[in-house]
Amino acid sequence: MYAMKASSPTLPPIPAKTGPGRRNRSGPVPGWGLKLGGFLTTLGVFAGSLGYANAHLYVTNAPLQPATVALVATAGATSAAAATAVPSTTTTSTTTLTSSVRTTTLPAVTATKTS
Amino acid sequence: MDLVFWEIARASGLAAYAALCISVLSGLAPRTQALSFLANNRAVRALHDWTPWIVIPAALTHILALLLDATARIGILDVFVPFLTSYGRLAIGLGTISLDLLIIVLVTTWLRRRLSNNAWQWWHRVSYLGFVTMFLHAMLSGTDLTSPVISVLSWASAIGIGYYALERLGKALNPSRIRA
Repeated sequence: MYAMKASSPTLPPIPAKTGPGRRNRSGPVPGWGLKLGGFLTTLGVFAGSLGYANAHLYVTNAPLQPATVALVATAGATSAAAATAVPSTTTTSTTTLTSSVRTTTLPAVTATKTS
Repeated sequence: MDLVFWEIARASGLAAYAALCISVLSGLAPRTQALSFLANNRAVRALHDWTPWIVIPAALTHILALLLDATARIGILDVFVPFLTSYGRLAIGLGTISLDLLIIVLVTTWLRRRLSNNAWQWWHRVSYLGFVTMFLHAMLSGTDLTSPVISVLSWASAIGIGYYALERLGKALNPSRIRA
């Protein structure tokens, strides 16, 4: 990787103060140390964010949701709330989802006896 | 496989934001002494000159991942022309504008020898606008900004840069304070 110093901007030099008013403004880190720190910081943010994104694939309260992500997120939430889970009678651990109760206009098939 | 691109797009977006923060802060630091506790101005300027090497790969990764990802549904035209997407036009359009401004800043920087110093300085100040649009893009569309940790770090870095930008502006408007 080539240094970009040759074609990149260089600000006009800041005149150095001399005498008793001069403050020591030089930190201990050299230029290559700052570059390494900048690179590692960016890489660390990328790696950390990648891990976070992998752990939180569907963020339901994200400010902006692409259509497919929103569909998956809302479908998952509504199906979990509305559907009734009925344990299966078979020995496997699968569950059967049944639709919720609905009203109908058909006449009642049962009657209440009065004495 | 598609969700891999979606995850890379989210992570590289945050990495691009971090890289741009480093770039803007190191650009402000020589005049504001923001990084004087770390290094001298020569080293900070060397860092600022070098930051395209972290900003460009992160931004390119973000764009390429979004183009390859079927979740985001971003087309090649959406990358360069703002407000064309079928959803989140403002939020994604701000990201497009910030990319356009970043390209302007980089190109004018590489053509600096052909520009007058005054012209180059004005073009370079576009980077402030680029940072603001990128920050708004991150806030309005960033999926991971719902995380309190990521949100606090993003806001803190933006506030820090805003503070030093105002200090830099104050010194530019009142140069007698520098000489004092």
